[in-house]
Amino acid sequence: MPYILNTENDRQAMLRAIDIESAEKLFSFIPASIKAKEYLLDKGCSEFSALQKIKAQAAKNTTVNEKKSFLGAGWYDHYVPAAVFDIISKPQFLTAYTPYQPECSQGILQAIYEYQTYMCLLTGMDVSNASLFDGASALAESVLMGLRIAKKNKVLVLKGINPQYENVLSTYLGGTTYIIEEVKTIESAISKLDDETACFVFQTPDFFGVINEPDEVISECKKYGIITVNVVNPVSLGILKTPGERDVDIACGEGQPLGAGLNYGGPGFGFMTANIKYVRQMPGRIVGKTLDLDGKTAYCLTLQTREQHIRREKATSNICSNQSLNAITAGVYLALMGSDGLSNVANICYDRAHYLYNRLGEIKDVRFSVKGEFLNEFVWNVKDAFDVLACMSDKGVYAGYLLGNDYPDMKDSVLTCCTEKNSKADIDFFVNKLKEVLDGV
Amino acid sequence: MGCKVIFDITMREKKNSYLPEFSCGYALPEKFKRKELCLPELGELDVIRHYNKLSNKNFSVDTHFYPLGSCTMKYNPKINDYIAGLENFSALHPLQPIDDVQGILEVLYTFQELLCSLTGMSAFTFQPSSGAQGELTGMLIARKFHELNGRRPSKVIVPDTAHGTNPASAAMAGFDTVIVKSNDNGLVDINSLKDIMDESVAAIMLTNPNTLGLFEKDILKIRELADKAGALMYYDGANFNALMGVTTPRMMGFDIIHLNLHKSFSTPHGCGGPGAGVVGVTEKLKDFLPVPIVVKDSGRYRLNYDMKKSVGKLRAFYGNISVLLRAYTYILRLGGDGVKRVSENAVLNANYIKEKLKDDFKAPYDDICMHEVVFSCINQKEKGITALDIAKRLIDRGIHPPTMYFPLLVKEALMVEPTETESKETLDYFIDIMRKINSEVETNPSIIKNAPVTMPVKRVDEVRAVRDMDFRWHKDGD
Repeated sequence: MPYILNTENDRQAMLRAIDIESAEKLFSFIPASIKAKEYLLDKGCSEFSALQKIKAQAAKNTTVNEKKSFLGAGWYDHYVPAAVFDIISKPQFLTAYTPYQPECSQGILQAIYEYQTYMCLLTGMDVSNASLFDGASALAESVLMGLRIAKKNKVLVLKGINPQYENVLSTYLGGTTYIIEEVKTIESAISKLDDETACFVFQTPDFFGVINEPDEVISECKKYGIITVNVVNPVSLGILKTPGERDVDIACGEGQPLGAGLNYGGPGFGFMTANIKYVRQMPGRIVGKTLDLDGKTAYCLTLQTREQHIRREKATSNICSNQSLNAITAGVYLALMGSDGLSNVANICYDRAHYLYNRLGEIKDVRFSVKGEFLNEFVWNVKDAFDVLACMSDKGVYAGYLLGNDYPDMKDSVLTCCTEKNSKADIDFFVNKLKEVLDGV
Repeated sequence: MGCKVIFDITMREKKNSYLPEFSCGYALPEKFKRKELCLPELGELDVIRHYNKLSNKNFSVDTHFYPLGSCTMKYNPKINDYIAGLENFSALHPLQPIDDVQGILEVLYTFQELLCSLTGMSAFTFQPSSGAQGELTGMLIARKFHELNGRRPSKVIVPDTAHGTNPASAAMAGFDTVIVKSNDNGLVDINSLKDIMDESVAAIMLTNPNTLGLFEKDILKIRELADKAGALMYYDGANFNALMGVTTPRMMGFDIIHLNLHKSFSTPHGCGGPGAGVVGVTEKLKDFLPVPIVVKDSGRYRLNYDMKKSVGKLRAFYGNISVLLRAYTYILRLGGDGVKRVSENAVLNANYIKEKLKDDFKAPYDDICMHEVVFSCINQKEKGITALDIAKRLIDRGIHPPTMYFPLLVKEALMVEPTETESKETLDYFIDIMRKINSEVETNPSIIKNAPVTMPVKRVDEVRAVRDMDFRWHKDGD
């Protein structure tokens, strides 16, 4: 029997010790009417057979490495140094749980404390939690935090938030009476700010890749005591202005670009950093530094009275398990990359994306409907974009994400991303294939 | 020897060799640039040594017995990690064309069918990343289901023994929680339930076996009461390891369930996550699941977004895929015979511990338990030794402590969940150590009070951590 060590002799001895004839009897108080009469699944199989079966399924996938991929839209194909996998595969990280017992979890706690520091340095904020599930739920949790702090009802969202995040936000708020309102421009955002507004939410670079700087809205928010929430891509912070420099209250986002790989969309992790004065309203685990009995530096989970296992229905969130291993992964990735490495990643993304943008500009059927400076991704337009993308895929290029999926008025708009993994040659290949497609070749 | 914070390690030269040189001649205009980013520049060996030092300071399932109650710290088979790491799964972008990801969609679809067979549910969503997020999903489904039936019940019932996430999740979904008391046998008190179960109740959330490790024998009676009031039954699957293949949540009368794949389905806990809290529902609730779900049309798999009653989305994309792949591998390996053996052995192991320790540590509910057993250290407390002290002493003997002070109903609780993957030999070691500690309560209490002494740090001052609020490293002088 896989993974069970006890022999039949062991089991018999244990049954004798508890004075019961058979293991079946341990379940005798379950009413017979609700007991399974037969096995619920086919019989199990050897490791080899399972491997063969699943490998056959895996073979039906085409990976991004088999084509030239320019897909981003919230999930990025960055290079992950081999040392990252080595470290996060260590059993004392992989197979431990939440560090409830600090004395036998100092390594985990210190790794998370370092992760928290990394996120503070990256975002320019005071305090970080130990991770949330993903960028989308991190935004929802940030808004809930803002609503708790401001004790008002309205959430104002600037257009350009990842549409999946907006969807998750409205799901999270689905059971409440809070109101979410979307505004299209900075001017309309300012005009909508009022005494009922709890939170103002914006993303930069936004979902269309544009570097947004709603400085006037942020300073206006201060007047009303409105909590500002900035969704941000952590890799962009290798070079771009930080949430801290913008003086927002809460920063959040998806940590996947920091070493997590693709994995068909999960796991990554959600991060959240904030102004220290709001730390008691933060959701999720937080690690703090302290001392042991002998006065030696030690770490532990702290401010736990915010959390569900103590505060129950009055907790700041229901979160218990989070995405610790991915947060630690981010720490390892940043340790390996350093400032120089991370800013290089962002710079290379900028470089490649602008090269592609300019090469696309050479094609007469390509237009650019979304204006503004961008970092690693941008929107371009082409007639019959759906068909063009399908043809590009057939020619070995994932040319981008069709925005018509989320925005009915953008059915000919494509969101395209470059990372350090796209070489200049890949980009030239993209452009040549697009020309072929548009020329009907 | 302590371990320097990574930010205090000697800086190396700025020289990053992980990335290709850049080549196209474009650079970000100054006005968009941040102030200097000050992360440490380290060599790869610096980083490897640092994290190896850190990893050696932790207990884990691969290195220590880890009977942390309600967390199911079973062995995590390595084939699962290997499968999750296959490039044909790991190098997939979530927005690739459907034709290029038929393999992973087939896996998800097949996994869904296996989970349906195992639980009696009709459909699953893989989006929730944890049990708590599964609970929130379930509560939102309950809310929407009632709303579309023209009802707006405002309450959710949870037992006094419930995991803290249950009331917290119900509250996030906008419900008031009402507590139902346990009776003297540690089970839901049916009479108290009758008193509070009415048409204002949207759902009752139950763990079965409950957190005292006891099977709710009156589960069908509870179902009847819920039916009369029009309330749904939500199953917190945190303790499913006791019942796999023995019964199903559907047979027990549940409408909505979550399963913690990082518990019963052996995926590694990763210092606290990622996990997966997949949610299953019965036929009548299928259309309320988050979008998208994987469907199969004439041999081709696709993602269906066209679900008008859906509660929406709980995350970007589809789920913690590499966690799902591990769990899928696990149940293919075990099969119908294997999962049943899992539960039988998990329950046998817990009962063996209870029987062997009940003379030394009070077992407040001395009935057959399921996969976990809760002891009360109340007798030791009278002699000045608390559950916390005993937990810390276990660390010195190389055992990760059980869950402490939970469920709240039991004073000085230690909740022990050995899991099926531990041998009698290990259980005997644990039993022996627990008995020795109990005799130390009389003979050498200071050794318990001072424990642990074998770890990199002695007892950690958690009160000071709250007071100091030091959540991050600062550069000297900052």
